Amino acid sequence: MKHPQLSELQTGFHNHLLDLPNSFVQEVADGGGITVNHRLNIYHNAYRVRLVETLQDAFEKTWAYLGDELFESAAREFVEETPPHNRNLRWYGADFSEWLAKRFPEDLDISELAMVDWQLRRAFDGPNATPLRAEALAKLEPAQWETLGFRFVPTLFIAPLQYNTISIWHALDQEQTPPVAERLPEPAWILIWRKEWQPHFRTIKSAEQAALSLLMEGKSFAEVCSDLSEQFSEQEAAAIAANSLYAWLQDELILGTI
Amino acid sequence: MTTSTNLLRTKSPGFGLGLRPVHYPDFLREKQAVDWLEIISENYMVPGGRPIAMLDAIRKDYPIAMHGVSMSIGSTDGLDTDYLAALRKLVNYVEPMWVSDHLCWTGVHGRNSHDLLPLPYSEEALRLVVAHVKQVQDLLGRRILLENVSSYLNYRASEMSEWEFLREVSEQADCLLLLDVNNIYVSSINHRFSAIDFLNHLPVERVQQIHLAGHSDHGDYIVDTHDHPVADPVWELYRYTCSRFGEIATMIERDDHIPALEELIAELDRARSISAESFEKVERAA
Repeated sequence: MKHPQLSELQTGFHNHLLDLPNSFVQEVADGGGITVNHRLNIYHNAYRVRLVETLQDAFEKTWAYLGDELFESAAREFVEETPPHNRNLRWYGADFSEWLAKRFPEDLDISELAMVDWQLRRAFDGPNATPLRAEALAKLEPAQWETLGFRFVPTLFIAPLQYNTISIWHALDQEQTPPVAERLPEPAWILIWRKEWQPHFRTIKSAEQAALSLLMEGKSFAEVCSDLSEQFSEQEAAAIAANSLYAWLQDELILGTI
Repeated sequence: MTTSTNLLRTKSPGFGLGLRPVHYPDFLREKQAVDWLEIISENYMVPGGRPIAMLDAIRKDYPIAMHGVSMSIGSTDGLDTDYLAALRKLVNYVEPMWVSDHLCWTGVHGRNSHDLLPLPYSEEALRLVVAHVKQVQDLLGRRILLENVSSYLNYRASEMSEWEFLREVSEQADCLLLLDVNNIYVSSINHRFSAIDFLNHLPVERVQQIHLAGHSDHGDYIVDTHDHPVADPVWELYRYTCSRFGEIATMIERDDHIPALEELIAELDRARSISAESFEKVERAA
């Protein structure tokens, strides 16, 4: 009897896992204590269970927020629509947050919480870096400050926040009932990065966000100060710049100078 | 059992465990009664952070074996060169005792099932796997170990038994074997073959490592779940394995419901005594 080639067998088997058209059932040997369909189901089920568990692990807070039933049903839908392509299971779920925004368009706090889950995990095993110490800046000559810019650690991630996601995150972290989701009264951003081996996050307001964005574009610290003084009084601008720089050093966000 | 000549494997480093993050603090706190550790390669194929830092600290005290789950050596897609480059980088960094993966495929057409899917035991699959193993060994500059997977189906296209296939792959590709004794037991129930026949047909000189693990028994079939202690029939099969293959590096895998390290070390002690009893018996017989 002529059997299909290996490539056809593998295509058929994988299509079976993905519920795509296939006639793989004909290629499975009979015999033993369980039926061919049962044998196929073991693989079909294991595929889904493994990927849902991977999402539960990567989106721990989102899972707690949605509860077992709703999270699992959303995760299963995502798995059906999103076959993994990466060799490393670590990266499965990279687009789950965007998917949740489409799945729950009326409740974008869910997607925002998933974004925080994913970015904390990304920071956890992101590239290592040795941060710049405050002492290094103290040694600079005043003239050097005129053109000085900064590079930031590679795990640094900034995104706008629309909801009280951080309050929700903290409540879930304490295993308490999260507050009702509501839009933030004023724009805010989340900073996520890794300090030593521990992922960190904090929220920032528009002035610090503007300063950080300009520096990340390669602007000098002096240019950022001058930009701030157009929006704020000179005294306020100086305070924002100085406080921000102090916080970035404490948070180990600065990698070096340019 | 043979004490003979021509062993391709290196001397056994003893009894090990799969290194899991929950046990990092135990290994960092004090030297544990574990001779070596096996890491899941992919868990450390990441840019940086705590996993690699922990591994750096722990590997000062324990020899490391690298065990992959994503090589997909039997896929008709061919080998993934990016994956192999990342693997080689990790091998150069970790300097492991050896590198293993599974005799299986994990996906086709660029998709990945993240499952260890069985191959048909056919001449065509044999040619493909042998070519891929040679390619990997050339790239890494060392023999790799291939592990038998547990399986729940067999193909009509199979032309030989799983053990004949394993033997042919290892001899034609000149690679080593990682025998998962639990997987042999699981598959022997699921496919109604003799686990002893399986073991008797494998080349003694090529078996470098043994895995032990727990499973879930569903009566008519068994699923390899790695979430229970090693089951009694698997211990019995391990006893036979020791008598046939001699002193082989043995370790316990636990991936779910991971208990305290002491519990796994106690389980590992059972492996130590079974191996020692078998070895004494063989020594006396000799």
